[in-house]
Amino acid sequence: MMRSTSRLRAAGLLLATALATTLLPTAAHAAGTLTIASTLDPGSWDPDDTFLVAWAQVATNIFNGLTYRGPDMKLVPGLATSWEELDAGKRLRFHLRTGVTFQDGEPFNAAAVKYTFDRLLGPAGAKSPQRDNYSNIDHVDVIDDNTVDFFLKQPDPVLPTKLAGYGGMIVPPRYIEEKGEDYFNTHPIGTGPFKVVDYQPKVSVTLEANPNYWDGKPKLDKLVYRFINEPATEVAELQAGRVDIVPDLPVSQIPVVQGDKTLSIATSPGPLVEALFFNTKSGITQDINVRKALIMAVDRTTIVNQLLNGAAVPINSFQSAMSFGFDPSLKGLPYDPEQAKKLLAEAKVPAGATLELSVLGNDPTFNEVAQAVASYLQAVGLNPTIKPYETSVFYNDIIPHGKTGAMYQFGWGGWTFDYDNTAYLIYHTKQFYNPYQGSPELDKLLETQRPMTDKAKREEILKQIAKYVSDQAWEMDLYNPKAVYGMSNRVQGFVPAPDDRMLLTDVSVKE
Amino acid sequence: MTDASIARAPRFKSFELIAGGVLTGVIVILVLLSNVLFPDSGDAVNFMARMMPPFHSWAHPFGTDPLGKDILARVVAGGRISLLVGVVSAIGGVVLGTAVGLVSGYYRGFWDTLVMRFADIQLALPFILLAITFIAIIGGGLTNMIVLMIVSQWVQYARVVRGQVLSLRSREFVLAAQSFGVSDTKVLWHHVLPNVAGPIIVLMTLNIATNILLESSLTFLGLGIDPLIPSWGGMLAYGRNYLQTAWWISVFPGLAIMFTVLGLNLLGDWLRDFLDPQGSR
Amino acid sequence: MIQFLIKRVLQAIFVVVAVTLIVALAIRLTGDPAVMMLQGSSNVTQADLDRIHAALGLNQPFYVQYFEFMRGLVTWHLGKSFQGDAPVSDLIANALPLTLWLSVASLAVSIIISVPLGIHAAVKKGGWSDQLIRLLSLVGLSFPNFWLAIMMVLLFSVTLKWLPPSGATDPSNFIMPAVTIGIILTATNVRLVRSAMLETLQSQYIMVARAKGLSEPVVLYKHALRNCAIPLVTYLGLQFGGLLGGIVVVERIFAWPGIGSLALDAVYGCDYPVLQSVIAVLALLIVGANLLVDIVYGLIDPRIRVE
Repeated sequence: MMRSTSRLRAAGLLLATALATTLLPTAAHAAGTLTIASTLDPGSWDPDDTFLVAWAQVATNIFNGLTYRGPDMKLVPGLATSWEELDAGKRLRFHLRTGVTFQDGEPFNAAAVKYTFDRLLGPAGAKSPQRDNYSNIDHVDVIDDNTVDFFLKQPDPVLPTKLAGYGGMIVPPRYIEEKGEDYFNTHPIGTGPFKVVDYQPKVSVTLEANPNYWDGKPKLDKLVYRFINEPATEVAELQAGRVDIVPDLPVSQIPVVQGDKTLSIATSPGPLVEALFFNTKSGITQDINVRKALIMAVDRTTIVNQLLNGAAVPINSFQSAMSFGFDPSLKGLPYDPEQAKKLLAEAKVPAGATLELSVLGNDPTFNEVAQAVASYLQAVGLNPTIKPYETSVFYNDIIPHGKTGAMYQFGWGGWTFDYDNTAYLIYHTKQFYNPYQGSPELDKLLETQRPMTDKAKREEILKQIAKYVSDQAWEMDLYNPKAVYGMSNRVQGFVPAPDDRMLLTDVSVKE
Repeated sequence: MTDASIARAPRFKSFELIAGGVLTGVIVILVLLSNVLFPDSGDAVNFMARMMPPFHSWAHPFGTDPLGKDILARVVAGGRISLLVGVVSAIGGVVLGTAVGLVSGYYRGFWDTLVMRFADIQLALPFILLAITFIAIIGGGLTNMIVLMIVSQWVQYARVVRGQVLSLRSREFVLAAQSFGVSDTKVLWHHVLPNVAGPIIVLMTLNIATNILLESSLTFLGLGIDPLIPSWGGMLAYGRNYLQTAWWISVFPGLAIMFTVLGLNLLGDWLRDFLDPQGSR
Repeated sequence: MIQFLIKRVLQAIFVVVAVTLIVALAIRLTGDPAVMMLQGSSNVTQADLDRIHAALGLNQPFYVQYFEFMRGLVTWHLGKSFQGDAPVSDLIANALPLTLWLSVASLAVSIIISVPLGIHAAVKKGGWSDQLIRLLSLVGLSFPNFWLAIMMVLLFSVTLKWLPPSGATDPSNFIMPAVTIGIILTATNVRLVRSAMLETLQSQYIMVARAKGLSEPVVLYKHALRNCAIPLVTYLGLQFGGLLGGIVVVERIFAWPGIGSLALDAVYGCDYPVLQSVIAVLALLIVGANLLVDIVYGLIDPRIRVE
C-alpha cells in the first residue's frame, strides 16, 4: 500500500519537473521590435473588406491615403501634396506626390488612384462595406501622371477627410492584377512605412520597416500584432512583458496597469459616444416629459468620475467635443431627481412602473453603467430591469425592428469626427438603425447640410440638428469614453490618436 | 467489515451524510432566508463605498463591488437564481430523460430509433455553440436558460436509463412480473425505476453543479441574465475583470458554488449507496 | 455483419446531414452578415444590404444555399469566410490540429492525474485518503473553466512569470490550457477509475494474481488497470464532444487559435460558411469516432449488433 502513495509522489514530481524545464524567458524583447495586442483579426487586409478599428490599427502602417490626419486631427497632405475644389465643389483635383513607390517597387501614380476607386466602386467592390462611404464619387479621371480629378455626384465637404482612412487607402494596381484579389487579402502591399512580412490568421501579423518610405524610414525595425480577444489575457501579456501596447484597455483593467511600475497609461479623447436611446413609439417613454424626467434622474457626472474612473467625458449631444458640429453652448438637462419625480407624477407614471434597459451582453463596462443608471431610476420610484442581448442579434433584429425595451444602448464612433456621420445614421427616418425617431422636418435639415461646401453654414445646421434632437429628448446622452492604452515603459514617443488608429513611424523602444 | 455489509446497512452516521447534509443545509437555509437577512439583495449602489476589501468593515464583511454593492448580500441572494437554475434544470432533465429512456428502452422499435438518433444529433453538436446560437434566436433570460439546459442534458439520462432498462428487460424478476400479467407501467415503476435510481442521482448531483457553472459561462460569453439580479455565476463572470484588483468579487461566489457542489455531491454519493439494491461500488 | 455495418453508416450519415441542416437553419436566424459587415458605415439602407446579399449568394433560396454547402463539404470546397474572404477549408485546416492536440494534451493531463488517484482511492476505499481524493476531485467541478484559466494566468504568468499567458507558438503554451481542461475532466475521471477499479479488484482474476504473489503495483497497474481500460476508453470517447464544448471558452482566454475560437468568431460575426463547416467537421469527427467504437464492439461482441 505504501508503494501506491510513492507512485503518487512520483507523478507529482514529474509534473513539477515538466513545469520547471519549460520555464520561459519572459521578457524576450527583440531590439527594435514593438509588440501590440489586438482584439480581433480582420481576416483580410484589403482596405475594401472591413470597417474595423482593429484593421486600421495595423493598416495605417501599411497603406497611405491621398490625405492624412494624425493625432492632432488636422487634415494634412498624404500621397497628395495639395488639392483644390473645382466646379463649385463637384470636382476635386489632387496633385500627387512624385517618386513614391509601393513596397514591391511598383510606382505610385494617378493610374493607381483611379484604379483604387474604380475597384471599390466597380464589381470588385460589390460586397465592400466601405463602398457607401465613397459612393458620392461618380468617377475618377487621370489628368496626367501626377494629377487626378474626382468627379462627385454632389459636393461633399467630408470627402477629403474620408480619403485619409479606410476605403481611401491607395492600392497597387499591377500587384493586384498579377497576384489576384485573394492573394492581396493576405499579402497586402501599400506605400506605407511598414510592410507585411508574415500573416498567421487568428495568431499574428508581422510588419517590417519599409526602408524606402517616402517620409523617411521608421524608427522601429519590426511591428508584431498579436490577436488576443480576452482583455484580462491582454493585460497579463503586458505584465509578463510579452506585449508592449494594449489598445482599448477596458476601464476595469486601468488600475491593474496603474499598479505596475513597469507599465503606464496613455489616453486621448476618443471617437466613441455612448447613450441610452428611448423607445418613442410605445410605453411610458412615448411621453416627452417622461423622457426628460428620466434624463434628469441620472447623474452622469458621478457615473463618469466614479464608475469610469474619469476615463470618459459626459456629453449633452450624441457626439464628442472634437466632432464637427459640436456646440459647447448646448446644455443638456441638469441632474435633478426632485424635478424628475415631479415630471413623472405629472405624466401619471405609477410608482414602481417597470422599464427595460436593452444592452449588449458582452460589454462589461456598459453593464456596470447600466446598473448605475438603473439605481438612479430606482431612486425616482421606477422599477428598471436590464436585458443583455447577443451582439449580432442586437444590431440585426432588436434595434432595426424596434424590439428594444424602453431604453436601449447605442454606442457610435464615426472616425470622420463629423456629426453628420452620426446624425444621419440614427435620426434620418429611412435609416436601418433608426426604429423610432425622426421627423420630416429633421430629415430635411439632414439632407440640406450634406452637400454644403460652406463650412460655417453647414456647422450652423449641424448645431440646429443637435438642438432639435436635444429638445425632443430622444436619447439619454451618457459619455464619450477616452481611448485608453496600456503601455510598457520601454515604448518611447507613442502619441495616441483620437481616431484609435496608430501610425507608429515615430515610435521607438528602449532596450 | 466487508463491502457487502456496508451496502446493506447504509451508514446514517457516514461522513458523506453528515458533511453533505450540513453543507447543503446551511446553504439552502441561508439562501431561503436571504429575503429576511438582506431585504434589498445587496442591490443598493453606493459610489462612496466602491471596491471595499473584505474583513475591514462590519457593514461589508465580504467587501463591495465596483458599484459599491455588498458582496455578502449578493452572494446570499445570488444563491436563489443559481440554485433555481441548477436544481430546476437538473430535475427537468431527469424527468424528461428518464421518461424517454424508460419508454424507448422498454418498448424499443420505432420510437427507440427516433429518440436515439435525436440523442446522436445532440451529442454531435458542441453544447456551448448550440447554446449561443439558440439564446441568440430565442432570447436570453432565466426560463430560456433553464429550457436550454434541460434540452442539453436529457440525453445523458435517457441513455443511462435506456441502457439499464435494456439489461433489466431480460432479467428474471422482470420477466416473472410480466408473466404474472403485471401491467407495463407497474413493471417500470416497481421493478425498473428503482434499479436506475442510483446512477441517475449521481448524474443529477453532478449536473446541478454543471448547470450553475454553465450560467456563469453564458454570462462570460455575453448571454447572461439581468445583471441587476445577483447570481453566483454572473458574479464570477463579471468579477473576472477585477481578479487582480478586487479578488473578493469573484472568489466569494466561487466559494459558494464550491461548497454547494461539494455538499450536493456528498449527499448524492450517500443517497446512491442507500438506494443501490445491488450493493455499493 | 454487413447489414449491421450498412445500418450504422446510414445512421451516421443521417446524423451528419441533420446536424448540418439544423445549424444552417439556426445561424440564418441569428442575424444577417451584411448588417455585421456594415457596422461602421454611416449610411445603411436596404439597397446596400441587398447588394451585399447578392454578392454573398444569400439572395438564393435556402435549399440552393444548403445544397451548395453540402456539395462543398463533399468536395472540400467550403467557400470563403464572410469575415475577410479567407477560404474556409484553410481556416479549418489551420485550427483543427491545434484543437485536437489540445484535446489530446488535456486528456493526457487528466489521465496522469486521475488514474493514480482513482486507483489509490479504490484501494483505500472508505479511508480518509479516499474521501480526500473524492473531495478534491470535486473542486475541479466547482469553478467555471474561464475563471480557472484566468487564475492560472495570474499565478503562473503574472506573479511567477513562468509560463506565457497566451498564444500557440511554443510547447510551453500547451501547459495552462491543457491543465485547465484536464482538471475539469479529472473530476469525473477519478470517480470513473475508482468505481471501475473497485469492480475489477473484486474479480477472481485479481485474486489469482495476488495469490500468485505478484507485487501490489504489478497487480494494480498491470493487471487491474488493463482490465478497466475498456470502459475508461469508451467513456473518454464519449467525453470528446463535451470536451470540445469546454475548449471553446478556454481557447478564448488563452488566445488559442483553434476550432473553438474560429466557431465563436463565426457565431458572433454571422459567418455562415465558417460556422456550418466547423460544425459539420466536428459532427463528422464525433460521429465517426462513435461509429468506429460501434463497429469494433460489433466485431467483438455479436450481441451488440442485435441491439
